Amino acid sequence: MSNDPMNGGPSHSGSLSPPLYLEPRLAPRTAALLESPAFLHGLVDALGSPLNVILPDQIADNVRGFHEVFARHRLSGRIFFAHKANRSSALVRRLTTTGAALDAASLGELRHALGSGFAGAEVMATGPKDPDFLWLAARSGTLVNADGADELERAAALVRAHGLPRLRVLVRLSGFEAPGARRLSRRSRFGTPVKSLHRLLDVLDRHRGELEPVGVGYHLDTTSVEEKAAALEGCLHAMEELRLRRFQPRAIDVGGGFGVGYLAHAAQWERYTTELTRAVLGARPPLTWGGHGYGLRAENGTLRGALGLYPAHRTTAGPGYLDELLSLPAPGLGRPLGTLLLEGLYELYAEPGRALADQCGLTLGRVLEVRSSGGGESLVRLAMNAGDVSLEDHGVLVDPVLLPRAPSPPGGPVPVAVHLMGNLCLESDLITRRTVFLPRQPHPGDLLAFANTAGYCMDFGATRAQGQALARKVAVHREGADGDWQWCLDEQYWPFTRTGEAQG
Amino acid sequence: MRYDSITEAIGGTPLVRIDPAVHGLRHIDLYAKLEMLNPFGSLKDRAAWNMTRDELAGAAERGETVVELSSGNTAKALALIAGLHGLAFKSVTNRMRIPEVKDLLLLLGAEIEELPGRSECLDPTDEDDPLTLFHRQLNLPGSAHLHTDQYFNVLNTEAHASGTGPEIIADLDGRAPDWFVACVGTAGSSTGVARALRAHDPAVRVVGLVGEKSDFIPGIRTIDEVQEVGIFDPATYDTLEPVGSDEAIEGMLTLLRRCGLLSGPTGGAAYFGAVRHLREVDAGLTERRTAVFIVCDRVESYVGYVRRRRPDLMGLPPVRNSVATLTEAEVASAAVIGVDEARKWIAERQPLVVDLRGPFAYAALHIEGSVNIVDGLFEELLRGGLPFGRSRPVLLACPVGEKSARYAALLTRMGHPDVRSLAGGIIAWRDAGAPLVRD
Repeated sequence: MSNDPMNGGPSHSGSLSPPLYLEPRLAPRTAALLESPAFLHGLVDALGSPLNVILPDQIADNVRGFHEVFARHRLSGRIFFAHKANRSSALVRRLTTTGAALDAASLGELRHALGSGFAGAEVMATGPKDPDFLWLAARSGTLVNADGADELERAAALVRAHGLPRLRVLVRLSGFEAPGARRLSRRSRFGTPVKSLHRLLDVLDRHRGELEPVGVGYHLDTTSVEEKAAALEGCLHAMEELRLRRFQPRAIDVGGGFGVGYLAHAAQWERYTTELTRAVLGARPPLTWGGHGYGLRAENGTLRGALGLYPAHRTTAGPGYLDELLSLPAPGLGRPLGTLLLEGLYELYAEPGRALADQCGLTLGRVLEVRSSGGGESLVRLAMNAGDVSLEDHGVLVDPVLLPRAPSPPGGPVPVAVHLMGNLCLESDLITRRTVFLPRQPHPGDLLAFANTAGYCMDFGATRAQGQALARKVAVHREGADGDWQWCLDEQYWPFTRTGEAQG
Repeated sequence: MRYDSITEAIGGTPLVRIDPAVHGLRHIDLYAKLEMLNPFGSLKDRAAWNMTRDELAGAAERGETVVELSSGNTAKALALIAGLHGLAFKSVTNRMRIPEVKDLLLLLGAEIEELPGRSECLDPTDEDDPLTLFHRQLNLPGSAHLHTDQYFNVLNTEAHASGTGPEIIADLDGRAPDWFVACVGTAGSSTGVARALRAHDPAVRVVGLVGEKSDFIPGIRTIDEVQEVGIFDPATYDTLEPVGSDEAIEGMLTLLRRCGLLSGPTGGAAYFGAVRHLREVDAGLTERRTAVFIVCDRVESYVGYVRRRRPDLMGLPPVRNSVATLTEAEVASAAVIGVDEARKWIAERQPLVVDLRGPFAYAALHIEGSVNIVDGLFEELLRGGLPFGRSRPVLLACPVGEKSARYAALLTRMGHPDVRSLAGGIIAWRDAGAPLVRD
């Protein structure tokens, strides 16, 4: 029986030593949930695989974390949850009780927010705006985060045509420059170059009766806090321009992109990325399906390209990142950016998506089949596909947690290397392109839990391709300090108990 | 010594013995090759000059700009050499993390372009890293650039194979050292010196030092980053060992405080890595041996770097009249005054109104007649004593009334009889509808 691939015999260990784990960082609530495998197995038995599990109380904790950063810098303002990170009703409804606001990037999201209890004034409309989206935003008193002059013109025309109240707008700027060195920036589709601010101001000037500019903002796709500092300082100068035109702006929107730390151990991440580099250079066996290099390639023995992976282990992420940004001296004005916001009497708006959904949910997939690939690594087929848990699309490398159906056989677990395959009839349907190391061989019927998927990795790319079922979504919470886990369908969740008392 | 050009002063750097009482090695003579004494301040002077000397005349004729991907010493040397020959210099990098170096380069007339940070939302369709894009731009037909390409240019290595390495042998009376220890950045110096030493004596052992992955030591690459360097060949090194920034600073302190060598952290890393590596072999030795490490540049630019990592090394004594010395009770007993009351008080007694915010915010909106003394300056001012007479009442204002309360408490302790803090600050003033002006 030792050759039976289902048993993962010692013949596998050659390619395994030592296994390169990337263990997930688990907040206490997530860890506690994973300590209840019987509960999770029961949910998947009843509702099918894949299954998304939402932890709405966690998002309230996360909002608190951001509010603490605001308080530390004595700033008032608002946290806007970027709804696109997750479609969950439970998260949106739970947020209505936290003082957070919501950033809706489509008509559907705006309707969802309004239908979940958000007042129009607590919502900001961002992203590309169709006429219907813009109309409902204006109609419901939503703050419109405008991408450019054209959008402002369309909004003003709409307000005039329908006799709507003056519409609050915020203008999204881009192309900021810092003094000294020139910073090359990634080309973006969004925002108006700050050099063309005067054109926006002309538009706002013409439509004083229809539009009320409350401030300016930016959204930069970068992990670099220095680039954001330059942008924030640029916004401070833009606010001054607004004042000079006799507007009374009051808010600066610093966008999101504060990041999430997915991994528990820095050392695992460092070792993994070094081994990946060696694998690309041919110094060790491949760590991925087909030798995929995640953006790296070898040219004449030298490493080229850039590692296309999310920096999954971070010392500073989420609220800590915002704190760092606010503490950073402005490149030109010198004083800390948080101090400059406060002294300018400005409110701070932030739109964290991923960071606010940190640890707010996980995705479960059932193991359907385990077979030997002949190359030492097993192929594990799951009842889910790459769209259901799009960690790979976002470059997030993190190990799933194995939740066995039956207790482990005697003799102690033997680590295995596996490739996780999806349920589509497509060569490309790999849950991960990398070889995943698990502490023991999975068996059909076991569950793999992908932790921390609520931010963009849960339903962002999910489709009904090939007629496969979309993951059901459930909200779970605990009643009392160490009470049992309770669950309901995501759409059945409201932030109060069946008898109407507040939950969480 | 008389030269026609400063570039003639490149090379010929001293080899200085480290006192055994400092390093504690019993059988090994340890020498520092003082590359920091090159005229532009670092080891990179050699490579910069070797990569450009034959190209400069032609480049000047064609009006080219010297371009290099460098965050520090190579850029510095190239900027000076370019200036000397009437050329412009541009540095492109995503590694410029030492603000003093950046400022110095700007002072030297260099143009700096910084590459953007990593993407927070990965785009799987984006195949190109910024560096590839940069290279493509550089190779566009008609672009007038002299790209020195230090990570791939054999002239970088050659500068050390024909200069640094032979100098070491000459100074050791015609013998190669038993160990050569160098930090790996472009790999030019370690590769070139190793080549010269091994040609002389194949038994030389070469220790390459790389930075720890999560850490940052200026001038050193991590074990993964060195793989991106064209002239890096792992076979050059008998061993590659990581060094951390704490260790680099520790080594640097020894060189500064006990050896009289004004080394930067990279030299400190080389010293630390050398002693750590040699200590193990030293125990088993019976005959005398020799080792050489490189001090690649000077400390002055890295004062801020050290301050951020080891503020304890620059601990200043507590200052007089500091808000930091106030007790919570003192702060709580500071006289505060609400907006309405303050407006009446201003009208009746005309106190001096001091706005503690930054000048940018003050210029935009402030209480009429107030003066702007930024909190940091105010703190410094108070160290010397009260900056205004006791007879004039004072109203302090900051954004929310927190800082101003602390300064009011401090001024009271210093003997001012009537200092008050605006409760809720300028924000409360605005929210109460009281007037704010801009001049």
